[in-house]
Amino acid sequence: MAQHGGTAAVLEAAELLKQGAEARLYRTRFLGRPAIVKQRFPKRYRHPLLDEKLSQRRTAQEVRSILRCRRAGISAPVVYFVDHTSHCIFLEELVGSSTVRDYIGSHRDLELDRLAERVGQILARMHDEDVIHGDLTTSNMLLRRGTEDGKVDLVLIDFGLSYISALPEDKGVDLYVLEKAFLSTHPNTEALFQKLLDSYARSSNKSAAVLKKLDEVRLRGRKRSMVG
Amino acid sequence: MHFTQELELFPGKKVTQLLFKEVKNAAVLRKSAVEGKINGALINPTMLVSPFQVLVAANKAVHLQTIEKMKTRSLYSEIIFNLSPTNNISEAFKRFGISDGDDSVMVVVVHDKDESQLLSDITSKVEGRQVPVEDVSSLSDAAKIKKLYKVTPAEETCGTLLDAVICRMAIKDVL
Ligand SMILES: Nc1ncnc2c1ncn2[C@@H]1O[C@H](COP(=O)(O)O)[C@@H](O)[C@H]1O
Repeated sequence: MAQHGGTAAVLEAAELLKQGAEARLYRTRFLGRPAIVKQRFPKRYRHPLLDEKLSQRRTAQEVRSILRCRRAGISAPVVYFVDHTSHCIFLEELVGSSTVRDYIGSHRDLELDRLAERVGQILARMHDEDVIHGDLTTSNMLLRRGTEDGKVDLVLIDFGLSYISALPEDKGVDLYVLEKAFLSTHPNTEALFQKLLDSYARSSNKSAAVLKKLDEVRLRGRKRSMVG
Repeated sequence: MHFTQELELFPGKKVTQLLFKEVKNAAVLRKSAVEGKINGALINPTMLVSPFQVLVAANKAVHLQTIEKMKTRSLYSEIIFNLSPTNNISEAFKRFGISDGDDSVMVVVVHDKDESQLLSDITSKVEGRQVPVEDVSSLSDAAKIKKLYKVTPAEETCGTLLDAVICRMAIKDVL
């Protein structure tokens, strides 16, 4: 159907921020406000019908996870609009925010300890809501200066691979993904990451089973790499 | 006093909001709207947190109209439906549309040309005092809004009431 305007036309004029494997990220304005658009594009190697179904499901799951987090008091970008036809999500742009990744690269021990403490708490709370993020990295955590109190707010982004699960195994793997990303992005931070895990352990009474699974997954990872 | 915003996704299309207090003829207005004699959506402002909430509903309505997937019969009823957190159409009208005894009303018009004629049509029909659209926040019934949208106290620690409302409106079709 030929259409004037619509999401596709707006994205043509928008600034491309990132070209990922599954989605593109654009910066634009939505109803006068700064906004980020995440567009899932068709994957040619998949059957068109299957591809459509998958994009539909991932888009729906992404916005559901965001709402589930927000309901529990975990910051995530506000969802402004979902176009289920072009698989686009319009999100609040966190203007002036920086990634935890950049923060770690430019701050000292005491501040980093406090940050690790905070990240551990929030991930514990997210897992208590049975949200599995699916792609935890220090780039998918933003720091936003609070408007009133000047306090820094930690905002989780990119729930594109998220799902709902109560299984300690899934939560353990979620942490394992973060550990791998964390230690490879930030060399020599084993002690800092341990502080994050300690904070996670203290913040949830379901953490013991999750951390046990994390240990098992690490062991499996190591065995696999030994076998080659 | 009115507020006009262009829909970036639909170039040329604009949404204009007008807010009235001390309205004396709500019943007549409602009847005209039902009969299609008023070219606009008549909304109960006590259920609105901000004009932005109306814009989000209007943008979604125009989108669904464009792809021929509206859930209701007209663009204006679709705007009212989109404000509601549930998929129950009659409940949406009861909560977000105006009722006969109301003394305030938000009128929402979607248009593509200059709005001056539209605005004078509306203002000539409403017996009431027009006030700035931003004043809607002073009419909102926050307690009722929180209850209807099921906003948790925890959620208010990570965002405003408007944020909570917008998220639910945007996501309701996949909940
Ligand atoms: N809602 C947002 N507000 C501001 N920046 C964002 C937002 N979403 C993503 N970004 C930026 O885009 C980068 C890539 O995002 P992502 O593809 O979601 O991992 C992030 O590291 C952020 O710097």
